[in-house]
Amino acid sequence: MIKLQNVTKTYKRGADDQVIALDDVTVEVTKGEFVFVVGPSGSGKSTFMKLLTREQLPDGGEIWVAGKNLATLRSWKVPVLRREIGYVFQDFKLLENKTVYENVAFALEVIGRPRREIEKRVPEVLELVGLTEKSRAHPHELSGGQQQRVSVARAFVNNPRILLCDEPTGNLDPSTSVGVMKLLDRINRTGATVVMATHDQHIVDSMRRRVIELENGHVVRDQSRGVYGYGG
Amino acid sequence: MTARWTYVIREAFVGLRRNLMMTVAVILSVTVSLTLLGASLLLSEQVDLATDDWTGRVEVSIYLCDDRVCPAITPEQQEQLREDLEDQEVVAEVFYESKQDAYERFTAMFADQESLIDAIDADILPASFRVRLENPNLFNVIADQFSTYPGVEEIVAQREVLNQFLRFTNVVRTAALVVAAIQLVAAGVLIANTIRVAAFARREQTGIMRLVGASNWYIRLPFVLEGVFAGLIGALVSWGLLWGTVPRVATSLARDIELMPFIGEAQVIAVGPWLLLAGTGIAAVSSILALRRFLDI
Repeated sequence: MIKLQNVTKTYKRGADDQVIALDDVTVEVTKGEFVFVVGPSGSGKSTFMKLLTREQLPDGGEIWVAGKNLATLRSWKVPVLRREIGYVFQDFKLLENKTVYENVAFALEVIGRPRREIEKRVPEVLELVGLTEKSRAHPHELSGGQQQRVSVARAFVNNPRILLCDEPTGNLDPSTSVGVMKLLDRINRTGATVVMATHDQHIVDSMRRRVIELENGHVVRDQSRGVYGYGG
Repeated sequence: MTARWTYVIREAFVGLRRNLMMTVAVILSVTVSLTLLGASLLLSEQVDLATDDWTGRVEVSIYLCDDRVCPAITPEQQEQLREDLEDQEVVAEVFYESKQDAYERFTAMFADQESLIDAIDADILPASFRVRLENPNLFNVIADQFSTYPGVEEIVAQREVLNQFLRFTNVVRTAALVVAAIQLVAAGVLIANTIRVAAFARREQTGIMRLVGASNWYIRLPFVLEGVFAGLIGALVSWGLLWGTVPRVATSLARDIELMPFIGEAQVIAVGPWLLLAGTGIAAVSSILALRRFLDI
């Protein structure tokens, strides 16, 4: 489902000054897996996620996502790739002037899905995330955990094969985080591949899923049913 | 398909309303530039119309003596003059205008100025031969040959009068075109800037659209339509302005300047599609250019 082969990504900071964000990274994630990408800030987690949605292109190596080679993917086909990927942000990124329902429907509307499908699918997803009663509320009327569940609903409403979550619990307190994790686990069980960047040790340890640890742009650990840190 | 268009059009109007001041500025600026453009187009029409009519007409008037300035032309001299004119190769046609004809033309021309007509004696206007040339530029051939004929008072190149008119309108038309072009560029820049502001104000929304896989045109079209709509309104207003003023000006000029046809509503209507095309075209191009780098995949 996701495959990175000898992927390198550097950022230029000045004429001769460059930062290596990812250095010769090779990783494969198969369909239906739940993977944590962990590591301290600046370890390359964000770059890893941005490469998968083709917001950025690597300097070296090859990336396949949902059967597409991102290096040769024409730019006009990038939207087609992104329809296979749901994306959950740390800061939710909900539109304040839209209700919960409208925020979720928006993701289908802007890819041109027919009204009938939107009216059927949005309530289904809102029920999945447990927010049916809040569908007319605006984001500012919700708690952080509820907002993140709306964000998950929006990412998943299109039935993507891959769900990418960038620090989804980063702005939430531990008890709320558990609810969001249960939701992601449930989505994973429907067959979606979930990749979650995090440095929430407690969550990683309690889920016992595959853990890919990055440090200074290198994969220093790739462990199935792992925990956050060695011995931790 | 309908749901898509509802989204695109709704978003375009949301943008226009949020940016009301800028929208008004864009509309005004498009209006000014297109009014000038339309005016210069109409002036060209006017020149074509006048030239077509004038070039087909008399180019040279040969005024005949009537004892006032010089001894009156005798019937023999007059017959000789006509024969020689008709024999002359460069002459296409010769008409005779009697004193009576001249007076009638004069009274028709100044029909609404009775005091002027009263002051003129029916006898005071000279009779003339009016000559149409094969080539209007050959006026000198006629002047050289016939100005010394007995009974000829004066030879006037009507063409000169027309040329002065053409020179004047050319200057006005060129000036209008230059100002219209500058204004149009300014309108384009203003539109581009407005669209950038609109795109920046909605960057959160477009960011989400990109990540959920909205296609490029779906993200950009509302912004482009926003610009095109403002351009369209500006074009319509300028069309309306021209429609309201040009036929009136033409009518009042036609009252003062006899012998010259003037453009009317038909020409103003015909210029409309060009104004709409220019208004929406410039808006579309500047909106697309403004978004090219801003909303890249």
